[in-house]
Amino acid sequence: MIKMQPKFQRQRHGMPGLNLASMPDLIFTVLFFFMLVTHMRDDAVLLRYQVPDGSEVRKQQRHPAVVNIYIGKMLNTNGDIGGYAIQVNSELVTLPQLVPCLNRLRSSMPPEAQERFTVSLKADRHTPMGLIADVKRELQKAYALKISYSGTEKH
Amino acid sequence: MLLIFFLVTSSMNTEKGLQRQLPPLPDGQQKPLDVQREHVIAVRLDSRDTLSCDGTVLTPGQLTERLVERIAADPQQHVVAIETSRSSTYEAYYHVQNAIVRAYTRLRLQRASQLYHRPYSQCSPEEREAIDRHYPQRISESRPEEEGGKHD
Repeated sequence: MIKMQPKFQRQRHGMPGLNLASMPDLIFTVLFFFMLVTHMRDDAVLLRYQVPDGSEVRKQQRHPAVVNIYIGKMLNTNGDIGGYAIQVNSELVTLPQLVPCLNRLRSSMPPEAQERFTVSLKADRHTPMGLIADVKRELQKAYALKISYSGTEKH
Repeated sequence: MLLIFFLVTSSMNTEKGLQRQLPPLPDGQQKPLDVQREHVIAVRLDSRDTLSCDGTVLTPGQLTERLVERIAADPQQHVVAIETSRSSTYEAYYHVQNAIVRAYTRLRLQRASQLYHRPYSQCSPEEREAIDRHYPQRISESRPEEEGGKHD
């Protein structure tokens, strides 16, 4: 027994260490993977919304001619939830401001994008239809007729 | 560091949605189109999100079946008239839109396999146009009224 102990200790010291030379390669692979498959969050969304789900949703191209309109409940700075509000890209607007805002955004686009001007409507699933109808009316007034009702896929 | 930065600032969600085209505002010179009653498929969503088609209450799934039946019988002159209440929810409306899109997709798919023996997505643009001409999307949406019957 006394003779065996040093043998054990020698074995523990003899454990080969993990070779970490390939670690940077691994990390860079993961980094590049994320850089390719993700994109930057573009708008600071000030509203709380959850889009509805449907089975017929199509993938929508992300191109500069798309304007996001968010409709949801206001998130106040102290954390409580207020009433319904409208946000265009990253600014909060009221209903009458919607038409001038869309026109301004459209005129800042290159001509080929103006033709494909599309509105992606990201509205909360519990929004009353009255508000949605009002927004759609304003979109018609602003001649923004291509719209996409944003939703998640459900099978 | 870079890895953590990307993990925090980026999001993976891809944009998906129902693509629709809104009609332009009537300019006052257009005459309102008179549609005969038998061509109208009236889809109604009331303030408690109850869905009905021509007076019978149904689910969005059943609505698709009903629309496929009705549109197949009258592809050229039918009009799907959607009527909503101001207090119905967007989710219920979304499901109605989804059911309508599903009905048209199913009909066009059927026609594509009948005529060209391949799915709609693999048809050439001319073939697609022919199918779309046979099953045009004729949808009319009325502006929801106030509960007290007030018009605006």
